[in-house]
Amino acid sequence: MTSTPAAPPTTAAEPPDNGYDDKTPRLSSRMIRAVLTQREVLLVILTVVVLIWMSALSYGGYLTGPYNSDYLSASLVDAVPLTMLALAELLVIVSGRGGIDLSIGAIVSLTGMAFGFAYGDWAWPLVVAIPFAVLVGALLGAVNGVLVAWLEFPALITTLATYYAYKSLALVINAQQPISTPEIQDLYSLTSSVEIPLIGHNIPDVPLGVFTFLIPVVVAVWLLLQRTTYGRRLFAIGTNDVAARWSGVPVAGTRIRAYIFAGVLAGLVAVYMTGQFASARPDAGTSGNGLALPAITIAVLGGVAITGGIGRVSGVLLAALLITWLNAGILLLFEGNQGTQLQLLALGAVLIFAALLNSYTTRKYGGTR
Amino acid sequence: MSTSTGLEKDSTMSKRRGQFIASPISGQEIVLLAVIAILWLLLWWATPAFLTAGSIQPLLIEVAPIAVIGIGMTLVIISAGIDVSVGSAMMVCGVVTARLLVESGISLPLALLVAVGIGAVLGAMNGVLIAWGRVHAIIITFGTLNVFQFIGRQIFGSETVNGIPPTLELFGRGEPGRTFGAPHSFLLMALIAAAAWWYLRQTPGGRHYYAIGGDHEAAELAGVRVRRRVLLAYIVTGALVGLAAIFTIAKGTATLDQSIGFGKELAVIAAVVIGGTSIMGGRGSVLGTVLGALLVQTVTSGVTQIGWPSQLSDLFVGLFVIIAVGADLLRQRARRDR
Amino acid sequence: MARRVAAPAVADTFRSAAEGAIELSSTGAAQPRLSMSNVSKRYGAVRAIRHANLVVEPGTVHALVGENGAGKSTLIKILSGAVTADTGTIEFEGERAQITSTTDAIALGIATVYQEPQLFAELSVAENIYLGRELRSGPRINWAAQNAHVVELLELLGLQPEIATKPVGDLSIATQQQVSIAKALSGDAEVLILDEPSAILTDAEIDVLFEVVRRLTGSGVAVIYISHRLDELFRIADEVTVMRDGSTIGTHPIEDLSVRQIAELMVGGILTDEQTQRQVPPGDPQLTLTSLGHKGKFQDVSLSVRPGEIVGLYGLVGSGVSEIADTIYGIEPATAGEIVVAGNVVRPTSPQHAQKLGIALLPANRKLQGMFSFQPIAFNISVGHLRLLSRFKVWMDRGRERAVSRELIARLAVKTPHERVPIGAMSGGNAQKVVLARQLVHRPDVLVLAEPTHGVDVGAKEEIHRIIAELAEAGTAVLMVTSDLPEALRIADRLLVVRNGTIVAEFGADATQVDVLAAAAGAQDEMEANR
Repeated sequence: MTSTPAAPPTTAAEPPDNGYDDKTPRLSSRMIRAVLTQREVLLVILTVVVLIWMSALSYGGYLTGPYNSDYLSASLVDAVPLTMLALAELLVIVSGRGGIDLSIGAIVSLTGMAFGFAYGDWAWPLVVAIPFAVLVGALLGAVNGVLVAWLEFPALITTLATYYAYKSLALVINAQQPISTPEIQDLYSLTSSVEIPLIGHNIPDVPLGVFTFLIPVVVAVWLLLQRTTYGRRLFAIGTNDVAARWSGVPVAGTRIRAYIFAGVLAGLVAVYMTGQFASARPDAGTSGNGLALPAITIAVLGGVAITGGIGRVSGVLLAALLITWLNAGILLLFEGNQGTQLQLLALGAVLIFAALLNSYTTRKYGGTR
Repeated sequence: MSTSTGLEKDSTMSKRRGQFIASPISGQEIVLLAVIAILWLLLWWATPAFLTAGSIQPLLIEVAPIAVIGIGMTLVIISAGIDVSVGSAMMVCGVVTARLLVESGISLPLALLVAVGIGAVLGAMNGVLIAWGRVHAIIITFGTLNVFQFIGRQIFGSETVNGIPPTLELFGRGEPGRTFGAPHSFLLMALIAAAAWWYLRQTPGGRHYYAIGGDHEAAELAGVRVRRRVLLAYIVTGALVGLAAIFTIAKGTATLDQSIGFGKELAVIAAVVIGGTSIMGGRGSVLGTVLGALLVQTVTSGVTQIGWPSQLSDLFVGLFVIIAVGADLLRQRARRDR
Repeated sequence: MARRVAAPAVADTFRSAAEGAIELSSTGAAQPRLSMSNVSKRYGAVRAIRHANLVVEPGTVHALVGENGAGKSTLIKILSGAVTADTGTIEFEGERAQITSTTDAIALGIATVYQEPQLFAELSVAENIYLGRELRSGPRINWAAQNAHVVELLELLGLQPEIATKPVGDLSIATQQQVSIAKALSGDAEVLILDEPSAILTDAEIDVLFEVVRRLTGSGVAVIYISHRLDELFRIADEVTVMRDGSTIGTHPIEDLSVRQIAELMVGGILTDEQTQRQVPPGDPQLTLTSLGHKGKFQDVSLSVRPGEIVGLYGLVGSGVSEIADTIYGIEPATAGEIVVAGNVVRPTSPQHAQKLGIALLPANRKLQGMFSFQPIAFNISVGHLRLLSRFKVWMDRGRERAVSRELIARLAVKTPHERVPIGAMSGGNAQKVVLARQLVHRPDVLVLAEPTHGVDVGAKEEIHRIIAELAEAGTAVLMVTSDLPEALRIADRLLVVRNGTIVAEFGADATQVDVLAAAAGAQDEMEANR
């Protein structure tokens, strides 16, 4: 038996390896790609469009009130809780494995009641009551985290169930009555607008909550994601939790913390909203369609990929501003109830549009930045 | 190993004829029946009025709309989808039908047609976006939830619809709405459930839903028309939402307000999941959904009957959902470790 | 060889094939069932197949062997319609055939069964087999007819007919694979391709599989059987075609060859590149495995690796070799035996724990287990040792991360303009270097490498080998799990061969490829049998 002579031991030459695939497309398609993949750019463009459009309408007398910088600044009152909850969803969705938190609004309601009891009924000092609210939020978030991260329950149905549970507890715990003791009513001042020192008379007054709640939280979450080891781990498990495991990242622990942080943020929102309404309401986060819906919409609009691993604080912040100012404009454009309804429509349409866009850019360009 | 000849095979074949697929009732459903039975007994012990027609009939009437939407939702969830817009869709179907009843005095058959038709159209919107848009169903239906609500509120104006004639009393609470004590809406729902049960077990199309939920890419490769099936599931759900709107108008008073359908999506999804359908797709049954709806409604009615605050029922429903999902996970893990 | 004529009372499913067989016997002319000539296929500049010819006769089992990268899977993909050949012709029963899609292949009668059964767990066996072409009576499925056909099919294959109505998810993996085969055959298949079917089966299950294959060939079906387990081929195959470096080298009747000879053909009989002579310092081992076992995967594995030593662990798919690596790294705890690191008995329970013990591992499946695709290189490098690259273990020290990344990029010669490029856009070799760099942020005491140069181009391969040697020089104990034999022989100081979950041979640095391949494929049994 003879073996056939061996083929010459050369291997086919590969194209020169410059490290990665590389094709240079035309300028216009590069620009489109930039706008689509840099979510912040798109959001800024859209915000400018909205501002110009609304200002034009205002100038032409179509609005029931002036759409000016004072109004925009005052409307930031609503941006505070929305942004914070959207950041909570950012953390949970980035953690991957279908991460989402439908119960965030109910956590706000229940934590709000807890805060109401602590600060209102039991007369604890504010410095104790606020951490207490945060702790309650963290615990409620931890329940979600344990179920989803340790026991590997699917996040969607789990947080739907905890939404049910927390919502009902919030209503039952004080027989559907809000708590609105004088101390709580005094908290209203937390959310009023203030004049910024020094340059204050040149720019409109800004709601205090922006400085006491929004900015610290935005900065904290940004630092958490971009500057801490935890942030790296979170992005790791959201991008590829198998590779994360093989790299020594504690997957379950990191994921649980995401849900706990979301609960913490919800607790802070509860304190803020108690001040905003001058009462701890059992339906604070669950009235209407609940706060989870706008929070998730803003997150998705802000570039958070529903599959995990992608999301930036800057995108979420810009998306929140866009939605806030758009909603503010709609309220002026249409009276009363009509306005609220149109906000609903806008929210729904924006969500579908943003999701389709995210999906398209992920397929075509490998994700947004 | 022996090979049997043609003749010998006949006896084994006839044995096989009797067992087409898995037995019609699964372990989970038996457990559900048991739980419902126990709850009913407990409630009867707590409030003897519970097991009377006066209590059971309203319970069945309340179950009907949830269960009927649940039938469609079962199809959707088996194929690994979800639809949270059903509550808002019900509002649209309800308000349009109610207004037509009041303003144009339409007949029962026409009202049915309108409601079901509108529902189907709304469902088709969802179906097209989900089947062709390549975005996850939760996001799409979150969006349409809002859009439908907007449409519904617009049609309502800011008022309620008053003076609804008793055209729909065939599905209502009163005597005309019952046969031998059983509410018609419940009976119709049971009929549709039976048809859906047959469809899922006996037709190729029905079986394809399980394949899609199991692995939609493999299903596509095997020749299953995935997108068509998904679209159909959402259209059917929408149509059944329309029917549920009819039931809801019928069982109410002559006034319809904007709370119709509100929050119903949660009850429906809870019913489906508690009934044993896996939220991850690939497994489920209509019988389970009907039982799940019965359980959810039993808890809701029972809580009020005992005198506890009605909101507490949501807490229990949430707990039941967690238990059901946990049971499903255990089942899957047991299978994987085989 | 004897060609069995199909029995008269045969099911519809095989009738066409059977008729074909009868026809052949009567005319006496040898019409091959399938023939491929001058086939080639390239992906960009990589020639996956240079020159392939294949002739498969009906009613025979035709084995296709070759090392990883020799082109077997591409050839199969061409036959199954998953890819199209660039050149060459395919003839089916003497007629030219165009296979441009999987549907074409199936229509022609070519059925392929892959390693992982692609079945739907909730549906019954019968439903799985008939999915997409259900037998109907009116709107319903005709269960009686469908089940009857499936029962017949199962019985013909020698399988248990009762499983026809059971949900596939309730069956064992081996049974599921049998169902996959049945499914492939249910469509009048005349050529059946089995891709590494025995990799996931126990010995008893392999016996059943071979029974099924014999029945098939008895009815005239042509079977193409791909396997690395050369010893098995002698039990089941009639002919064997060897592929090497993208070309088919030759086809021989199986009885003309021995395992060793097949191995020689696969390797080409050339000596590999010169091995570097290394001096391994004496001393106590850094890693010792004593009778390590994991139920069902491997048993009684004992080895030791000294600091500065590179020990190769070679085994074919299914030999248990990758599971050994997983156990050392804490992915799956052992069920028997001990692991000793630096003199202490340890029991790693997670990768995190293993890292604390000084064990690092480069995963086998880069895309699934190693890469964070849209994250930059620096992220991918630092994610393994976040604490080291931070202040107070919490605050990322991005300056250090940048410096370390740049240093490693330079050291491993990663081709990239800077460390912020996302790893997903990189070529296989570069991406692998980045994943390797992750393990080197802190030089590990023990480094386990799983398939370190799989899917890596020649240049990057050299560089990775250089790094491994450097690491060993610096004192790391290296355990390299690989199915790339030339690589193993090039840089390993010692080579252990794993087969059926246990170590069957040990070779020094002077071993030849053929020796090792033969040992891995079972030549020892052959030698024992011939004694």
